Amino acid sequence: MAVKRQLSMVMDLNKCIGCHTCTSACKLQWTNRNGREYMYWNNVETMPGTGYPRDYAKMGGGFDEDGALRLGQEPSAEDYGVPWEYNYEEALMTGTDPWLRPNVKPTWGANWDEDQGEGDYPNSYYFYLPRLCNHCENPACLAACSRNAIYKRQEDGIVLIDQERCRGYRYCVGACPYKKVYFNEEISKSEKCIFCYPRIEKGLPTACAKQCVGRIRWIGYRDDEAGPIHLLVEKYKVALPLHPEWGTKPNVFYVPPLSPPKIGDDGAPTAESRVPLDYLEGLFGDGVQSALETLTRERQKKADGGESELMDTLIGYRHAEMFKLS
Amino acid sequence: MTAMPLRGLAAAIYTASAFAVAAPAVADGIVEANVKALDPGDEVAVSRIPDGVYLRAVNDPDDVIWERLPEYRTRLAPAPPVHESVALRLGEDDPGLDVYFSLARTSERFYVRLRWRDETRDAMTSHDRFRDGAAVQFALGDEETSYIMGTGPEAPVNIWYWRSDANSVEDLAAGGPGSTTRLDAQPVSGDSRYLNGEKPAANQWIVVMSRPIATAGEHQVSFDRAQVPIAFALWQGKDGQRDGLKSVSEDWILVNLAAE
Repeated sequence: MAVKRQLSMVMDLNKCIGCHTCTSACKLQWTNRNGREYMYWNNVETMPGTGYPRDYAKMGGGFDEDGALRLGQEPSAEDYGVPWEYNYEEALMTGTDPWLRPNVKPTWGANWDEDQGEGDYPNSYYFYLPRLCNHCENPACLAACSRNAIYKRQEDGIVLIDQERCRGYRYCVGACPYKKVYFNEEISKSEKCIFCYPRIEKGLPTACAKQCVGRIRWIGYRDDEAGPIHLLVEKYKVALPLHPEWGTKPNVFYVPPLSPPKIGDDGAPTAESRVPLDYLEGLFGDGVQSALETLTRERQKKADGGESELMDTLIGYRHAEMFKLS
Repeated sequence: MTAMPLRGLAAAIYTASAFAVAAPAVADGIVEANVKALDPGDEVAVSRIPDGVYLRAVNDPDDVIWERLPEYRTRLAPAPPVHESVALRLGEDDPGLDVYFSLARTSERFYVRLRWRDETRDAMTSHDRFRDGAAVQFALGDEETSYIMGTGPEAPVNIWYWRSDANSVEDLAAGGPGSTTRLDAQPVSGDSRYLNGEKPAANQWIVVMSRPIATAGEHQVSFDRAQVPIAFALWQGKDGQRDGLKSVSEDWILVNLAAE
């Protein structure tokens, strides 16, 4: 779907410390109220893991090789995790309840499997994967809506649900292979990440990017050749889309994580990386090996005291250079 | 809940001498006695409820009055898919189902009463659960209007959509598939009963929808004319039906409004 300009985000997974500040920022800004309590428009997953909602990657959606919509399923409330609150007032203030406890029994939630990862010592591994709506070039949610209630803004490519048009059919919820459209039971309509467009329109970055402690996020226009997105995605090709095989052409990109060598049976490092290459390729496609090689090479340049435009960009010295919103 | 409670009481209260038809025996499930089968394109006359006779409540689904009015049956079939999202979810061997309906008017209100078999009461809308629903569609123009949601904005339809989760009726208009729009004015009201039969197969929904006849509005169907084309739709929540995933009339049924 051609738009005049496309806003885009890059996240460097090598820098993500899994602090969930992005998620908290998003939730406080948009989803802590009015039927959105269970939603995480932005969330951080531990990978390898089940993701959010649980096992979303197995729920279908997106497009097949011929470009036709693939059927996807709508996650259940339990797949997302039923949100709970604590009785702070009763337990801590009035003392009318001796126990501090949740109001529903927590059995699952976003990032429930945070500390699991994969592999056995000394080759256990994990990394963090923050996820939000990819504001795709070819949005499956948009294609699936029988009412044209979903649209992609011409000026920045942000994908939005027209709340006046939405009648809560939830085709979009199933069609998004990333499961980043959510059904609001209170209003019987679907809602999703809006890329903080009211902030963008004021020249501010998204809340998740602005608050990011690890400074892992860059925002800019795809066509801005002087901007960070072009440099990371097009020039150095170190930023890759998640699951490109799902056919939606995401506009959120990830710098894949480097990892230390795998330790062999003899206790010595091997030539293999701790995070298996095929696992990363399963997430980010064929460009992973080349991206990791570029990162290794440029990192070494910088370590040797040389100049590296790529590393200087990835360090993220100044917010003004990380967010190019004009 | 047993079928048709309070019948004796209601019959005693109403001066029902205007109604000559004896009440049929009520068994579990759909009462077939005195039901006339209608095909698409058939004509049917609206029944007249005399002035001074009132339903116990404005949309009472099991008021004794309904037993004294003619009831019709027509076949609904899976709607032809008009969007890929519908086509992807179409059941292969959906045989469709019958809807039973009565049409009535007083000098002030127009009523539609629907019954249909439904083994499951799906009255909740949640992440992955869908509600039962029913709709009555009126052509604002004549029967040349497409019975599939109208023919564009020039030949629209007015739709009364009952949703089980809120037990309420939405007054909608559409000018073709995908254009359904909630109207600013909402003069249509409704009520429902879900009756359990001896066997689940005999369970049924009964829904009454009604509207003041003297309602004005660009997309509110006018009953101040000789004939109005009418069509029906039902949604089975258990099967994830919503939108174009539904059972529908295969053409208009023509309702004569002038008939007494």
